[in-house]
Amino acid sequence: MNALLARISNPIVWRSRHHAARKLFEFSLAEHGSMLDLFAAARLTSSADRRAAYLRHALDERRHAAMFAAKSAEMRRDSGRESLGFPNADTDRLFERLGEQRFLAFVHRGETRGRRQFEVYRDWFADRADKRNRAFFDGIIRDEIRHESYTNALLSELAGGERERRAELRIVAGWEAWRTWRRAGRFLAERIYYASMVALYVLLAPFALFVGGVRPVRVGWCSPPAVCQPSHSSLRTAPQE
Amino acid sequence: MTAVLGISALYHDAAAALVVDGEVVAAIQQERLSRRKNDASLPKDAALACLSLAGLSATDLAAVVFYEDPFARLDRVLLSTLRSFPRAWRQFPHAIRSQIGSKVWVLDNLAFTLGISRNRVSTVAHHQSHAASAFFASAYDEAAVLTIDGVGESDTTGLWMGKGSSLECLGTIEFPHSLGLLYAALTAYLGFEVNEGEFKVMGLAAFGAPKYTQEFSKLIKIREDGSFELSLSYFAFHTDVDLGFNAKLEELLGPRRPRGKPWDLQSSPEDRRYADIAATLQRFTEDAIVALAKAAKRLTSSEFLCMAGGVALNCVANARVVQESGFKNVFVQPAAGDAGGALGAAYLGYIQATGKRPARMRSALLGPSISNDKARNTAAALGLKYTEPSDIFDEVAKLVLDDKIVALARGRVEWGPRALGSRSLLASPKQAEMRDRMNRAVKRREPFRPFAPAVLRSEAHKWFDHWNNDLSPYMTGLAIVKPECRAQIAATTHVDGTARIQTVDEDSSPDLCKLLQVMKQRNEAPIMLNTSLNGNGEPIVCDECDALAFFLSHPIDALVLEDILLQRTSS
Repeated sequence: MNALLARISNPIVWRSRHHAARKLFEFSLAEHGSMLDLFAAARLTSSADRRAAYLRHALDERRHAAMFAAKSAEMRRDSGRESLGFPNADTDRLFERLGEQRFLAFVHRGETRGRRQFEVYRDWFADRADKRNRAFFDGIIRDEIRHESYTNALLSELAGGERERRAELRIVAGWEAWRTWRRAGRFLAERIYYASMVALYVLLAPFALFVGGVRPVRVGWCSPPAVCQPSHSSLRTAPQE
Repeated sequence: MTAVLGISALYHDAAAALVVDGEVVAAIQQERLSRRKNDASLPKDAALACLSLAGLSATDLAAVVFYEDPFARLDRVLLSTLRSFPRAWRQFPHAIRSQIGSKVWVLDNLAFTLGISRNRVSTVAHHQSHAASAFFASAYDEAAVLTIDGVGESDTTGLWMGKGSSLECLGTIEFPHSLGLLYAALTAYLGFEVNEGEFKVMGLAAFGAPKYTQEFSKLIKIREDGSFELSLSYFAFHTDVDLGFNAKLEELLGPRRPRGKPWDLQSSPEDRRYADIAATLQRFTEDAIVALAKAAKRLTSSEFLCMAGGVALNCVANARVVQESGFKNVFVQPAAGDAGGALGAAYLGYIQATGKRPARMRSALLGPSISNDKARNTAAALGLKYTEPSDIFDEVAKLVLDDKIVALARGRVEWGPRALGSRSLLASPKQAEMRDRMNRAVKRREPFRPFAPAVLRSEAHKWFDHWNNDLSPYMTGLAIVKPECRAQIAATTHVDGTARIQTVDEDSSPDLCKLLQVMKQRNEAPIMLNTSLNGNGEPIVCDECDALAFFLSHPIDALVLEDILLQRTSS
């Protein structure tokens, strides 16, 4: 699905350096988020061998995040814009939420999806004889294949068989679909919320007219407000339940 | 037993601190565990790590204290957006979402996350937390306290009097007049990340001259009474979502510097202009802080001053406060920024519960330590060869003297943004080339960034002037390198002849102290270049996994991981 979408959106994504730079920064954020999850997995797993595998994978993800961010910054510089900065992704604490087996299934699916998407991009650049960008994606694809392979092997080992492995992948696919649905809902809700809040702000105009008179900006030293009174009395606790 | 957990969260640099029977037994920033730089999320990991270090469970806690009043902040946010009507129309939805979406529920979330009753969770004011974190951690029975940061609930600056177990607020300066937000706005103007690049601006300032005084006197007015006022028409932190300044500031100072552009202070006139702007900003900030400190001296007549808040991490300004404000001594707690609010909240909770003053902070090594077994197993699983030298400090000294870069990860993680010898990169301070190598190859950061010297406290007088104060153990102040010594410690002497010194003794940093003593025994200078063990954009290393990952991905020569030594081989 992602590969198909990538194929369709190729002309739009790479149409301008501005669009491409933003897309690459999104990849950078995704890799950074993945790195955070893998570091957490390394810390939480009980096996030294798996810890080592997660650490190596996390380092690859960190390198990818830096590569995507640097390429994005370079493209933006070329189009006269400033860099989008260093990626600082959020984490869903997937290892804790899913457990190790499903976490591995999730990572495996993500690596497969990423590899297919990057292959589409690589082919796009290959068709245009853009050797530099082709090589860029080729390097990352090699890593993704390695990640797919080791996560698959570990998943089989932990799940205890091929049927169990496939079952885990199916469960995680369902979980991801549910997560995508919720994210879409959140995306829509955010737009509605934003519009409502702008409308509310306009409705607050009458208050804005007199707030300056009632509670003006104070300049210089102010006498201590109630909240700054000596420490013993200022702790506020909830009412007793 | 009275155990109180302090929490700071949801703005930047979330943290937890645990005070048990008046002693700080654990304190850690969430970013060290989550590995997200400046992680602001509710610090569940940090809170649980603190409890685990103390061998307690959440049910043992007498109280959990959050470092600010979320409803007072909501009040200020609403007021500010209404005062700026209609210019704040873009900021309003974001601000309300952030307040109503999570911040006003923080006390309930804390109770739920820790599995305790809601009535055991309380709040204190933001600047009160800062003031408590500085005063109660200090060794002073009585002191003036200054808190200076971006903004708390509504205050940006606070002047306090601490005496025994009480803190009295003598005055505040309110939002939007804020030294922290002025510095942040100019940090963004200079192309750095806000809440991250302020240290860079401070380092950059030494390469410029304060040539923009006329322009800056339009931005900030310092009053006779020590207070200050910003000209809000140049700023946008009260109206805009993204940037803290507006087009008028660019008209005044010229176009802003694009983010991410490499620096070239040698040959680019534009970059030298930005360095001059940084120098002017630094000068005005220092002047404002010194004026506040003098006002504190006038009002309190105290001999001592404690400072906290993000602005108190400006070690250049702190050094001027020591010299010019008339106080006998000044103390800045190592985690003076928002993370430190957790410590202040825990102290205040303890005083509320017992009426007693908590014990002073003796060391900043308050976080989790490294597991020797896990370090050995993980290194072996990664295929890394290691040794277990009988005298690891002697080995490290040899490597450093051989111009190697050694990562030291031993003992408990430091509290605050500075590596003080538990998670440090160590190197010889002799050659200036070491600074360039460290900046370029290891830290991968701007070439102008300085490095700090760690020196045995008993030997500091031979190398430095103006070092003997309560700032030097935590790297929160500056010393002047004696002119005749500058060539001998070129890698840690900044371009202006200063150094952000760390004086080391057995109490403050035992491992680093042993290492420097070995250097002395070898008739070498007991000084090392000491910088934080982290890569560009990453939090400081916490556990064995982070340390090994750092070793694998950075060109350092050796890693000391508790009792084991890993060395890079040519193969």
